[in-house]
Amino acid sequence: MRPCGTFDERYSQDMAILRIKRHWGILIGALIFLYTFPLYGSYYLISLLNSLSITIIIVLGLQLVSGYCGQISFGQAAFMAIGAYTSAILTGKVGLSFFLALPLSGIVAGLIGLGGGAPSLRIKGFYLAMATIAIHFVVMWLILHLQITGTTQGLHPPAPRIAGFEFDSDEKIYYIIITVMLLMVYGARNMVRTRVGRAFVAIRDNDLAAEVMGIELYHYKLLAFFISCFYAGVAGSLWAHWIQMVHPEQFTLLHALNYIGMLIVGGVGSIPGVFFGVIFLRLLDEGVMFIAPFLASMFPWIGIHPAASMGVSVFGLVLILFLIFEPRGLAHRWEIFKASYRLYPFSH
Amino acid sequence: MKEFLQLAIPGLMIGGLYALVAAAIVLVYKSTRVVSLAHGQLLAFGGLFLWVALVALRLPLLIGLLISLACSMLMGWLVERITLRLLIGQPLISAFLMTFSVFMALDGIFQLILKGESKTYATLLPLGEFEVAGVPVGSVQLISFGIVLFIFLLLTLFFRLTKTGLGMRATAEDHQLSQSTGIKVKTIFSLIWIISAMVASVAGMGAAYVMDIHFPLPYIGIKGLIVALFGGLDSLPGALLAGLILGVAENVFAGYLDPLVGGGLKDVAAYALLLIILLVKPYGLFGLKRIERV
Repeated sequence: MRPCGTFDERYSQDMAILRIKRHWGILIGALIFLYTFPLYGSYYLISLLNSLSITIIIVLGLQLVSGYCGQISFGQAAFMAIGAYTSAILTGKVGLSFFLALPLSGIVAGLIGLGGGAPSLRIKGFYLAMATIAIHFVVMWLILHLQITGTTQGLHPPAPRIAGFEFDSDEKIYYIIITVMLLMVYGARNMVRTRVGRAFVAIRDNDLAAEVMGIELYHYKLLAFFISCFYAGVAGSLWAHWIQMVHPEQFTLLHALNYIGMLIVGGVGSIPGVFFGVIFLRLLDEGVMFIAPFLASMFPWIGIHPAASMGVSVFGLVLILFLIFEPRGLAHRWEIFKASYRLYPFSH
Repeated sequence: MKEFLQLAIPGLMIGGLYALVAAAIVLVYKSTRVVSLAHGQLLAFGGLFLWVALVALRLPLLIGLLISLACSMLMGWLVERITLRLLIGQPLISAFLMTFSVFMALDGIFQLILKGESKTYATLLPLGEFEVAGVPVGSVQLISFGIVLFIFLLLTLFFRLTKTGLGMRATAEDHQLSQSTGIKVKTIFSLIWIISAMVASVAGMGAAYVMDIHFPLPYIGIKGLIVALFGGLDSLPGALLAGLILGVAENVFAGYLDPLVGGGLKDVAAYALLLIILLVKPYGLFGLKRIERV
């Protein structure tokens, strides 16, 4: 929805994501804010932003495969684990630089993801969802039992270093994480506007119709899985070098379920929705963490440490409410807000 | 051979429980086309209700059993009425995600009640051992296996012979058509959730007896879903057969191969089996192959 009096005279103007000067202003302001944040942000906020950014990368991948291509995947945590372990092995045991291991771990996760996407031609819907749950458990079992992944001990990847400079603290690695996140968002935002993205949407809406229109189903479904697992792998690599510790406990099915939840809350089939979903559910989690001790002291019968289980319950409840009252997620609200803001004071 | 039987017969008993969970899921799918993850919680709470009735409230066995069954039926009805009823007409996948959200919401409550402990009522039930083909089997396991077979028989007869069962089969075919022939589809939905919650909670009571009420109990629901997919999502005999196969396969695989690969195979065997089945026979052993059109 464009405001009155806005005319696009060329296609390039019409297609641009940043169409007016104000958009550029907001973008540059936001970039400056993000890149100078460690100068004045507290330690807690910086690590919160780190984990938010990594989660955003994962959910972006999930958005591409589930939101745009319609293939529900519960395997995102396992592919993140593959990325994290690949990166840890490549830097710790082979001795590669982190900046080479980062894309490589994405590619390895993507290639294994092709195996995970293979069932998607024969099965879809919940059948595929169950297959990805199965893939999750098989991958996590392998990680727990192979020697190279350190079994139950986990691995300790070193901090990234370039030319003698070590990114060994939250503030330093923050710059890497934010940069990669912005690049990934830029990639995803543009990919969904290309031929590939339109093919994904066609497959989501009706895969038989898409095939009749000449979209090669297998090719595009596998591509969607590759891309989403690439995202998960890159996020896993960042995670591994930020925490400097990878362990099977960090990649449970609960995490994968959380990512699906973020997708629903944010809005299926929308890139800004990823941000809304991740931030909303993460803040909700922090809120529960904050309020749980008070509840525990007020009502002793709920136990001493209710935060974890309350978090799960609140998460489920929020998902139920969203599915009933706002199935299109927060992104839909955002669109409504944008439209009414632009059209103000005329409502039509 | 004796070693095999020692592994296979307990597997058969567990397999009966899996089959029961799968039957509950199949029931819901048969009439509403919703694949339910929520049954994991329904069964866990079934076990919990029985524990509350028998251990916390010290009720006699039969009364406690009836009360906890009633509680689980009420819970099944509530799940349908509060969440899934509102999604009629929405895409099926959002109903699937809804059952998943219900699973999460109830999971938190379940963990909150358990507080990280594990509860058991195994000691309250009569104990005794029989020999089946030279392998000792607990009497409770044998009885519960008998109950499983009995419930399957009952369900089959219910679908075949009663008018409500016929209505449910009709609803499974087409919601709108059956509504226009005078079947109350909403009542059928509620009814099927009540029945399937009851079946699931019976399975939960058996499972709670075997493995105690502990935090992984709800995840048997995922095993049940695997069994349901294996047997075909709309086939009750398929669920029974697949449940027994999975129970035996799990135990036998784990028994023979665990020493070679270092343990934990029991849990992953089911998932590996599922992957293979989905690739070879996407609609399961007895499932109907759906032909779509654009």
